Amino acid sequence: MNHKGTKKTKRDFLSVLRVFVVKNLRYALLLPALLFALAPVYWMLTISLKTEVDQFATPPPWFGFTPTLAHYYDAFVTRSFGEYLLNSAIVAVASTACALVIGTLAAYALARFQLPWSLNRRLSLWILSTRMFPAIVTAVPLFLMMRDFRLLNTRASLIIVYTAFNLPFVVWMMRGFLAELPRDLEEAALVDGDSRLGALVRVVLPLVAPGLAATAVFCLIVSWNEFLFALVLTQTDAAMTLPVGIAGRVTQFEIKWGVMSAAATVAIVPILVFALALQKYLVRGLSMGAVKG
Amino acid sequence: MPALFIAPALAVLLSLSIYPLIYSVTISLQKETPGGVVWGIGNFARLVSDSFFLTAMAHTFVYAVAALTCEFLLGLGLALLLNSQIRGRGIFRASLLVPMMLPAVVVGVVWRLMLNPNFGAINGTLKQLGINTESLTWTASPKLAMVSVIAVDVWQWTPFVFLVLLAGLQAIPQEPYEAALIDGSSRWQTFRHVTLPLLKPSILIVLLLRTMDLLRVFDQIFILTEGGPGFATETISLYIYRTAFRFFDFGYAAAMSFVLLALTNVISAIYIKFLQAKEEI
Amino acid sequence: MRLTISLALVLLVGLSSCAPNPQPLKKQLTLAVVSGVEGDALQQAARDYEAQKGVHIEIATFPYTNLFEKELIDLKARTGAYDLIMLDDPWFPRFANEQLLTELTPLLEKRGQSGPDSDFVDTSVALCRHPYQSGPLYALPYVGNSQLFFYRKDLFEKYSLKAPETWNDVLAAAKTIHEKETTGANGNRIHGYVMRAAQGNAAVADFMPIFWAFGGEMFGPDGKPAVNSPEGIAALEFMIELGKYSPAGYASFNADEVGAHLLQGTAAMSINWPAWISSFSDPAKSKVIGKMEFTTLPGAQKPGQAEIGNWLIAIPRDSSNAEDAIDFLLWATSAEQMKRSAQRGNPPTRKSLFRDAELVAKNPAYPAQLRSLESSRPRPRTPYWTEIENAFGIFLSKANSGTLSPAEAMNQANAEIEKILQRAK
Repeated sequence: MNHKGTKKTKRDFLSVLRVFVVKNLRYALLLPALLFALAPVYWMLTISLKTEVDQFATPPPWFGFTPTLAHYYDAFVTRSFGEYLLNSAIVAVASTACALVIGTLAAYALARFQLPWSLNRRLSLWILSTRMFPAIVTAVPLFLMMRDFRLLNTRASLIIVYTAFNLPFVVWMMRGFLAELPRDLEEAALVDGDSRLGALVRVVLPLVAPGLAATAVFCLIVSWNEFLFALVLTQTDAAMTLPVGIAGRVTQFEIKWGVMSAAATVAIVPILVFALALQKYLVRGLSMGAVKG
Repeated sequence: MPALFIAPALAVLLSLSIYPLIYSVTISLQKETPGGVVWGIGNFARLVSDSFFLTAMAHTFVYAVAALTCEFLLGLGLALLLNSQIRGRGIFRASLLVPMMLPAVVVGVVWRLMLNPNFGAINGTLKQLGINTESLTWTASPKLAMVSVIAVDVWQWTPFVFLVLLAGLQAIPQEPYEAALIDGSSRWQTFRHVTLPLLKPSILIVLLLRTMDLLRVFDQIFILTEGGPGFATETISLYIYRTAFRFFDFGYAAAMSFVLLALTNVISAIYIKFLQAKEEI
Repeated sequence: MRLTISLALVLLVGLSSCAPNPQPLKKQLTLAVVSGVEGDALQQAARDYEAQKGVHIEIATFPYTNLFEKELIDLKARTGAYDLIMLDDPWFPRFANEQLLTELTPLLEKRGQSGPDSDFVDTSVALCRHPYQSGPLYALPYVGNSQLFFYRKDLFEKYSLKAPETWNDVLAAAKTIHEKETTGANGNRIHGYVMRAAQGNAAVADFMPIFWAFGGEMFGPDGKPAVNSPEGIAALEFMIELGKYSPAGYASFNADEVGAHLLQGTAAMSINWPAWISSFSDPAKSKVIGKMEFTTLPGAQKPGQAEIGNWLIAIPRDSSNAEDAIDFLLWATSAEQMKRSAQRGNPPTRKSLFRDAELVAKNPAYPAQLRSLESSRPRPRTPYWTEIENAFGIFLSKANSGTLSPAEAMNQANAEIEKILQRAK
């Protein structure tokens, strides 16, 4: 009789153990992933606070070092990183806003109107394909275009180019969201006498707001971090953005790690704050059906 | 009516892509000689015998395939792990997203410093753990350079894959799972026959977007190794950049870009074919 | 309502960024400079000039690798964005050959000078002429760099080694130090030698002095590439031999890694540029204060010749402010201003400053530098140098990382250089 009893307790114990291991297995796997993701960023932060001797010391001091704010001072007071920050901010926000407005309009049309000659599918594919061309070769003709329009070395040129970069992504994402949405509410609004545009703004947009937020975050990240075109289209501090400024710390003889890390740390703060504040929308927004293409 | 809605988008995209396209096509068919401009397919013919070009293409494919595989498997794993109600879910998710938000320039610089064989944090920490790092020269070793560069890409872009797949997982309704439970399937069977098929649209979108970006990769490799050591990590974008901006041979650079574009188109078409097929079901 | 507000905001932001730059009320010059100690010195000079003369100077800084591209594309596209540009001397033939620069002699004559004054070091001025040495003047030299040989005199004394005069001396010393100093600072060994062999400018710049000392020449008397001569291959073999006593990974080193090794005390010898010298006495950067010695380059079959690497300043042909630009240029390269630049760590290009008592007190290596500069030679003055350096650098890097044998590397390099010259025809 006891035999049966012990067997049962053994099975219970094993299943409890199994549940415990599985539950904590998640943590055991996630924790290293988290450290791996964050360690380099932490390292960059420490570099921005270390003196140059400490930066190259072996073994590398992960924690025990005397911090200095000299690099931050160098970057923002002595050099023009403050200006670069402003330029990056203006360019990123403006291009994201433009892309969202223009792109959502186009996405709405593609999702709601049945166009002839299967244009819906053809146009969507064409818009996506503009993303495939290696940017390097378009850099030169665009440079010449901007020169002819006297837009070189202006923030406007970057805004125009980044809007074009972000449009395909916005159209694809928003088309997915909008296609998922049932038409009843809009139809109701139209019957009530609203215009198409009005219906879009007043009825549809609030419903796809998470999707818009998710798309906005991606667009901001792309515009904020872009390097090649910023390098080619700007010539002086008036229009230079942060990535170009940071790359500029690579001198012929020594990489000014301190200034570079200080600038980089400040460069990522706005994006991080914005994206992390909106991160629940990111997941919700993406799962609203955009991924169904 | 629809025309008005689409017009602005089309206007922007057309104006910024038509001129560059015409310019690129024109210049790829020209050759500058002391006597003037000569038309011909010389630039394209040169591609076949250019060992640098062929090697760069090979490197690009190796890079794309390896990075994509790692990013996909890791991203899927992370998405599955975080698709449940565990404590600190928000923190995990937020921190795992951080790498993809950094500018490629910053990523390149930070990793270059960390991978430095003598002063970098990676080898420093390995040494403290007692591992011999004499031969672990990362970006300097022809064998390890490609690995290092791929690792950095995986670090930066797995979060993106993770994000899209997580969203896809959370969009899957409960019913199919409940049905599978009633049917008595094991976890693995549920995963294979319920989760994966319903996740297909997300998977394909992620593969499509990442492939396009991986084939064009430039910024971080430029900063990390500039294509070295000795061409070991030179991808096609780097070679095009060098040809266009250092040697000022735009015709040849344009010719190479068209080849890359054609290949990307073919691959995307294959992906999209799968995507369309799914919709019909 | 919200839509209107957001549209209005977008419009506002868009307009604000499109606003044309306000027309400057005073004269303005735009400079393109390299990031680093040379560019910093020119920036400081510009600020002084502005304070003195009231001309506003806008400075655009770019990293070395991107400066060339930026300047080339802007000048070729005739944007007129820059009034003065800094050029590393190997780039100069390309710019001059494509007629992108303003000839300076007419501008100088207007100011009563027939040419650059004789205080300038001859080898530096020679770089500013196209064709080399004999042609019209297109630039003025600003930073007078030519390579020096750096070595740890404390270690040399410890092992009773004499100052290296030939490359064989260097190899022997490197071997000794490498074998004996296995536990240096922090438990790290000290390497006998360190060099940079990252593909491109790094590898080529560090290799050329060895190449020349062994008797190699890039172009034979008939103008055809000759890097795979027996002397050339011997030079590459020697470089790899030296590499055995260098830190692992040197095949990808750039100047910063070399500098870091020397400053941390983990390497004993190197070829390097004088701009580094001031860092060695800086306690925030150096662990080897007072232990480094600087001398001219060792020789082998031929006497040691340093490679010259001056920074030049030129005026683009399409600048609309050539007259103001030349005023600034003459001011910045005057003895007084160049002395200030020297005090900031940039070797000058004037003989009088190399002999100036104050400067020599702070920079005891100046006599060696002047000797090095006056006997230096430039890298081949071909407009296709960027392509050649790129190809050559790839093969040097491959040989140093063991992917190709020295003979194979030189043969392939030679073939590639041939191809480049053929295409140019």
